Amino acid sequence: MKRRVLMVSALALLLLMLIPALTFAQAKPGAGMYFRLITHGGNDPFWAVFQKGMIDAAAELGCRADIDLAGSDQNLQAKRFQEAVAMRPDGISLCINDDKMWDKPVADAIAKGINVIGTNNDDTQGSAGNARLAYIGQNESRAGLMIGRAVFAAAKAKGWDLSKMKVACAVEVAGANYGVVRSSGIIQAMAEFGIPGKPEIVDCTIDMTTAEQRITSYVIAHPDVKAMFGLGGICTDRLTSGMKNAGKQAGDILGGGFDAAPGTIQGLKSGYMIASIDQQQYLQGYFSVYVLYLMKKYDLRPQIDTGGYLITKDNIALIEKLSPQNIR
Amino acid sequence: MERQKLIPRLLSYKASFTLIVFVALLVIFQVFTPNHTFFQRANLFALARLAPDLGIMTLGVGILMICGEFDLSVVSTIPMSSFVFAKLLGFGVPLWLNLIVTLCVGVVIGLLNGFLVTRTRLPSFILTLGTMLFWKGLLYAASLMMPIGIRSWLPAGSWLENILLGIIGGVFPVQALWLIGLALLLAGILHFTKFGNWIYVTGDNETAARAMGINTNMVKIIAYVGVGLLCSIVGLMQCLRIESFSPNQGVGFELKAIASAVVGGVALTGGIGSVLGIVIGTLTIQIIESGMILLGLPAFGIGTFIGAVVILFAVLNKYISRWSTR
Repeated sequence: MKRRVLMVSALALLLLMLIPALTFAQAKPGAGMYFRLITHGGNDPFWAVFQKGMIDAAAELGCRADIDLAGSDQNLQAKRFQEAVAMRPDGISLCINDDKMWDKPVADAIAKGINVIGTNNDDTQGSAGNARLAYIGQNESRAGLMIGRAVFAAAKAKGWDLSKMKVACAVEVAGANYGVVRSSGIIQAMAEFGIPGKPEIVDCTIDMTTAEQRITSYVIAHPDVKAMFGLGGICTDRLTSGMKNAGKQAGDILGGGFDAAPGTIQGLKSGYMIASIDQQQYLQGYFSVYVLYLMKKYDLRPQIDTGGYLITKDNIALIEKLSPQNIR
Repeated sequence: MERQKLIPRLLSYKASFTLIVFVALLVIFQVFTPNHTFFQRANLFALARLAPDLGIMTLGVGILMICGEFDLSVVSTIPMSSFVFAKLLGFGVPLWLNLIVTLCVGVVIGLLNGFLVTRTRLPSFILTLGTMLFWKGLLYAASLMMPIGIRSWLPAGSWLENILLGIIGGVFPVQALWLIGLALLLAGILHFTKFGNWIYVTGDNETAARAMGINTNMVKIIAYVGVGLLCSIVGLMQCLRIESFSPNQGVGFELKAIASAVVGGVALTGGIGSVLGIVIGTLTIQIIESGMILLGLPAFGIGTFIGAVVILFAVLNKYISRWSTR
């Protein structure tokens, strides 16, 4: 008898404990919703941070969200998009990494009643070039402008003759949208500071050793280059080693670039790099889920610029702390 | 009479053509680069520091090709070794033990490749494509594609760093010595031992090799283990040099290594090649990259030029084979 009373009491206690949890779960506003994030990403750490943002937002809203990483294969990405449309989710967030190929699929999906927003990559014409309903990502041109300004301001502070300054940009994938648009921002900054011409583009590939070798050879062959940018995370990471290999001291060539890979952090600390831009891709994954949720519920359609966080040696400690947590 | 035959005889070695082109390229790059920067200390230093990455790996890949097989999984073995090394550093594993475990990563992957290829008798190109994707997927899942900096656990100047990346007299990178040392060791094995003969015979005619009593499966497995081990050394060197594990380590190396071996006179069909040729082939590919940028040519054209060189040598090798067998 005593045992039965004990068991009933334990069960009652368990139920009491579960009730608030169940109530809380039901109270989550996004329960029952499903979103899909379709990206061209794959083999670099950038997307792990993006994914973390998505997971955190989905957990907060109580909805489900999945990510597709197409590994830079546009055909695969297109297939994943069609599959997602067929699943009829509550919304799709898409990396619009081509000005033409996404026009019809996105318009068709919206016509079927599926909300599609852009993230990370956008049509170069923005909403005029693609029917996507909102965009969350770095304004690449503005990011290029910001990093350009930071580096050229440092050159000016050194008293260099900017009218004779030569600039170069190292890029992983020559001709890719991100590099073209980012370098356009750098060109704008050059014009602001009275630096003539355009930066020379150095094709470095995504292999770190090849990138380092090519940057080294380029720096040796172009002793007149005084500012060098990495247009992507890999090239930015290898800039410092390339300059060192070529026999340059910190400050001989001013470096700038994007993201915060370990080599970039070392470069910022040692003075080879002036600054790097963090596009805060955690926010891209996070806001993708939130915006799709709010769009489904209230038809809200924001344009969010996540980028432009300038990393310098003054705030590098914060980045180093948050990077292992996949937040920066 | 003998002297008259000497030049054709020398030219009958495929590596001699590669050597001629290599020397010609050195001269061209030195003469035509503005301010003759090719032989500048900084450039030679960078080449000596970076070329061994591909060079050491190509030694293994080239010998495997002589054995009649391919290994595309090298592109996964390199970052996998680097990942294990960085992770174990984080766990506080002693450096000597970490070194052994990291080298074992390559050995295990090589063993698995060897067993798969010899047991299934399927083309190694396809099988190692599969293992490449398998290990890469596993690596991405385990690492979440995040780089791992090693400096918080391994301060600069450790004994391992000095052994693998040191600079002798402030001018000569140890990496180059590793390439030379490993090349000499493998050349000794390939050209002066019974096992080396077995490699050639296995690659040339496996059925005949078996008829001669050679355990061709064992020969191939050992060759695969060798490739894996060399990849682990490269992964370790890269991790220490770039001071982090990066999931992008070694991207494109699998095809570059095959291209380098072909340029060095290794036959795609197996049975033909030399360590000297492999080394010169690798260096040729690397100095083309460096030399073209030093010449001030747009870097976009490098791939085109390397591609043309690979085709040229593949064609050349075919005609040399015909010529030497006449």
